[in-house]
Amino acid sequence: MIQDLGTVYSAEILRRIRSRPFIIGMLFGVLAITLLTRLPTLLEGAFSGGHSIVLVGNPALTARAAPLLADDYKIVGTLASGPIDDAALKHYHAGSAIELSAQQDGLHVLVYAHDPGTLHKEALTQALLPLQLQLVTHRTAGAVTKITRIPITVETVASRFASAGQAMAARGVAYTLLFFLYLLILINSQLVMSSVAEEKTSRIAELLIASVNPAALLTGKILASATLGFLQLAVWIAAAVFLGGGGGGGGTAQAQGDSGILSLANALDVITPGLVVAFLAFFIIGFLQLATLFAGAASLINRTEDLGSITFPLVMPVVAAFIIAIAALSSPDAPLAVVCSYVPLLAPFVMFARIAVSNVPLWQVAASVGINLVALYAIAVLAGKIYRVGMLLYGRSPSLRQVWSVIRS
Amino acid sequence: MLDVDHVRKDFGSVHAVSDVHFRIGDGTTFGFLGPNGAGKTTTMRMIMGILVPDGGKITWNGSPIHDDSRRHFGYLPEERGIYGKMKVRDQIVYFGKLHGLREPNVSKRVDSWIERLGLSVYADRPCAELSKGNQQKVQVACAAVHEPQLLVLDEPFSGLDPVNAEVLLAVLREMQRNGTTLILSSHQMWQLEELCSRFCIIVGGANRVDGSLAELRSAWPTRVVRVAPPSDSVRALLEVVAGARALARADGAIDYQVPATTDFAELLRSLVAAAPVTGFEAIEPSLHEIYLRAIGETAA
Repeated sequence: MIQDLGTVYSAEILRRIRSRPFIIGMLFGVLAITLLTRLPTLLEGAFSGGHSIVLVGNPALTARAAPLLADDYKIVGTLASGPIDDAALKHYHAGSAIELSAQQDGLHVLVYAHDPGTLHKEALTQALLPLQLQLVTHRTAGAVTKITRIPITVETVASRFASAGQAMAARGVAYTLLFFLYLLILINSQLVMSSVAEEKTSRIAELLIASVNPAALLTGKILASATLGFLQLAVWIAAAVFLGGGGGGGGTAQAQGDSGILSLANALDVITPGLVVAFLAFFIIGFLQLATLFAGAASLINRTEDLGSITFPLVMPVVAAFIIAIAALSSPDAPLAVVCSYVPLLAPFVMFARIAVSNVPLWQVAASVGINLVALYAIAVLAGKIYRVGMLLYGRSPSLRQVWSVIRS
Repeated sequence: MLDVDHVRKDFGSVHAVSDVHFRIGDGTTFGFLGPNGAGKTTTMRMIMGILVPDGGKITWNGSPIHDDSRRHFGYLPEERGIYGKMKVRDQIVYFGKLHGLREPNVSKRVDSWIERLGLSVYADRPCAELSKGNQQKVQVACAAVHEPQLLVLDEPFSGLDPVNAEVLLAVLREMQRNGTTLILSSHQMWQLEELCSRFCIIVGGANRVDGSLAELRSAWPTRVVRVAPPSDSVRALLEVVAGARALARADGAIDYQVPATTDFAELLRSLVAAAPVTGFEAIEPSLHEIYLRAIGETAA
């Protein structure tokens, strides 16, 4: 059995590593990770024109307003007076012009914009509120600042993170790892499925099963896929480090979190050995559950064209798990997140997301792992039966009733 | 010794095999016959340990079939399959390894099989680029590369042109000489008749007849007598043989079906005395005829 398993394992590794789907999957992953890590920076640069403004009005007034607007807007020019038209905005490469005037009842603002939707009134009101207070109450800037500044201190309670910045960084890391988990499990499970389908549709299955124990055949195939999954992971992490945001280590965690860009320095700060173990454990459990199910299902098809119809219902739980896990990053202790972190096929994603951003009690983690290992055993027995019989079935695809009778046998 | 002892296999309400039994001694070449759907493939799958019998048992050298005994078996299923993208040599090496061969032994055996089957030109080409006949030879090599003690071949000649069929026949004869036990299922009766020393014909999942060709023939109730040249005297003499029946005329001869119990020496003496007879033959039934009668298609 071990000898057979080794033979199948090494042959599968060689066959798959040379296969087009594996190479394409690997390259697609590198490309996607590079884009995802670079995208926020690229988008910020590409779409910053919408926040570029020209200040118009009395120079004394615009000089007082400029510091208040500098945090949210890029001031590309100031004008004492109009007219403000398309040519003027284009001249300054600005998305809008903000004309300020001090009236008896306070500050009046007139906005000229190419796209009125790009400039939010509430945000502008908030930014100019200190100037409005100065004009209405005739107080000094210092006095107004005293009034508007409310000291807020955040005390973390039962949190594993020392600061809000670290918590933000942890969410970024969790999101990235969840994405890896999703891609790894889905791509590699589908590769197992393709491999089984290839053997079934090429009709080599019977020759194989006559030569080797079906359990060794399926196990060797799945272990080879898991190994290649780890190889993919290593390549993707290297891509994230060297091609993605790895170079941008500057700035505080808070600033990084606020900007939405996760640097390698911040990531390393929150990646603990426990998180790595959880990632690997839930990858193995999730992958084995799904790959075994996929293999069993693939053994029932007769044509590769039928793969799509059986893939869809099996992929749905993974997509749902990914969506729930993303939501669980914000509310790790929400009842739905807690329940889903025990449910087979969902738990590898949801429990991992909860572990990444909160202090999940150890008993919950142990219970989740235990339930999912039992589920994995049940799935392996069930899919193994289907696989053993399905690989020999040709002609019309078996009905659900026939599949059920195979499972019961 | 392979002992198939009254095995049964059901698939839901379908009784694929209800009662099949035979014994095959070491080194025997065994012809396993039956119409489509008779249960041949299911029986062969049970022998190979792919399916587990619902009743009865199968033993190899007195022990039930298990993974270790399967390592000494080879199987060419009816459903031909191949890894299209894998090279011919790699494919045969893979199956050799699955059967427990290791380097450097596996490479030597693979080269030998590639040579024997005339596949040297294609050894480093992907299997998908080969003709169907050559792909089938690759499958034979995959099934036999480990030089099994028992080789089960389901329709090994189907799809082969006469030249490749001869190549396969030569390989099987060589394996016979080396003492390999062979089970052959085929509808090409003349090839089986030439190769096999024992036969079993099954119908509806159960034995109909089994034994050596001589035993099957001895159970056959009639023989065909061919006499040349045809003449009225000969015809008149044959007509009076009890149970005789005239058959379609052969070129330059006359054929009569007579009971197997006929005294052929006495009949020949009578014919020679009555007419100038230049040819006399008491023709034994062919495997094809025995098969057709056994499955109930044509009565003797």
